[in-house]
Amino acid sequence: MSARRIAVAAALVLAALLWTTTIGAMVHAIRRFESTPGRAADALGSWPAASRIPRAPGQWRLVMLIHPHCSCSRASITELERIIEHSPPSLRTYIVVYRPSDFAKGWETTDVFTAASRLPRTRIVLDQDGHEARLFRGFTSGQTYLYDGDGKLRFSGGITLLRGHAGFNSGSAEVIEIARSKSGAGSHPVFGCAINK
Amino acid sequence: MTTMTMNETTPAVDARAAELRDAQLVARRKRIDRMFAVLLGIQYVAGIAGALFVSPYAWEGKVRVLHMHVWVAILGGGGIILLPVLLAWLKPGTTMTRHVIAASQMLSSALLIHLTGGRIETHFHVFGSLAFLAFYLDWPVLVTATVVVAADHFLRGIFWPESVYGIANAEWWRFLEHAAWVVFEDVFLVWGCILGQRELRASALRQAQVEHLSEQEQLKSAALEMALAEMQATA
Repeated sequence: MSARRIAVAAALVLAALLWTTTIGAMVHAIRRFESTPGRAADALGSWPAASRIPRAPGQWRLVMLIHPHCSCSRASITELERIIEHSPPSLRTYIVVYRPSDFAKGWETTDVFTAASRLPRTRIVLDQDGHEARLFRGFTSGQTYLYDGDGKLRFSGGITLLRGHAGFNSGSAEVIEIARSKSGAGSHPVFGCAINK
Repeated sequence: MTTMTMNETTPAVDARAAELRDAQLVARRKRIDRMFAVLLGIQYVAGIAGALFVSPYAWEGKVRVLHMHVWVAILGGGGIILLPVLLAWLKPGTTMTRHVIAASQMLSSALLIHLTGGRIETHFHVFGSLAFLAFYLDWPVLVTATVVVAADHFLRGIFWPESVYGIANAEWWRFLEHAAWVVFEDVFLVWGCILGQRELRASALRQAQVEHLSEQEQLKSAALEMALAEMQATA
């Protein structure tokens, strides 16, 4: 066997090994990335008194923290839309959009922001340097809180099954169920980019 | 000296026809291997561009890092095309090269489908790829591609449905629906491959017969010239 033939065979064997290894490693890496939750909120049991988000007694509130540049949060917005559609019309939703003060004006205007601003019965709150997120003790984009009429926390967590994937999941199902029945409590892992490190 | 008409064949003509057909087929398949090497490269770049467009960065507060999908497109996509491109370059025209290319082309489809979040439109890549693979006129290559894409849809459909269908709660049997459309296309492509091979064989046979007739004519004219030369010499 000539030296060239041996070199070609060795290169092909190496490439075949790399081929199979890469495919396996790729699937593993994506799965791990998408199924690893972000840091869960260390939420208080009741509405943070210092928050500038208005709260009328007796009215249920849904609050979601969003990093406007987190592409995974498109799925959270899609799920939030589904929750709003299936919840009582009296439920008011606030999307708290993270905005660091040292970034140029308009930094927050992304497709995630635009999609959020189109949701019905929803108000956008610009959150300078994550101040509101700190009050709500949330760390991850997509973190959602449901408060009842007395300001008691009923749900804290994410509303997607994995990072960046919309679709039926127990998080959003729980929020809808609690908002409709006005009873119960729940939590779910949250998937998204970090807001406050 | 035996003579033959255009439509008659002899074992020698058949052997020459087979030789011509094989040579044409190998040349054609080498060209298609090269075409796929280029196509795989283009798809690789398109995958990276798509990942950069859809989700370029993951963020940690104010700090941005390249999104995992971009790394997957760069490293995973590179890994997928490495072996087929090397084979197309170093071993063009071989059966193994064609089958590895078929599997890699389907894996590229799988990667593109994942990178676009399971968009149904990206599944069209599978159907286009099958049509391109039919250029080989080698229907078992279509079987390899079909097995790879069906296995991918089945496994991801069970363990990771969001990646392949874009939703978390897809029915377990949905891969059968996708596979059925693939088989629907395969039936016609396999038929096309068989017809293509048949036409190639007929064309090679015609060429072998023409060559044989031409040889016979040359022999006849040589014999005639010799006879004329002998007559002139004796006159």
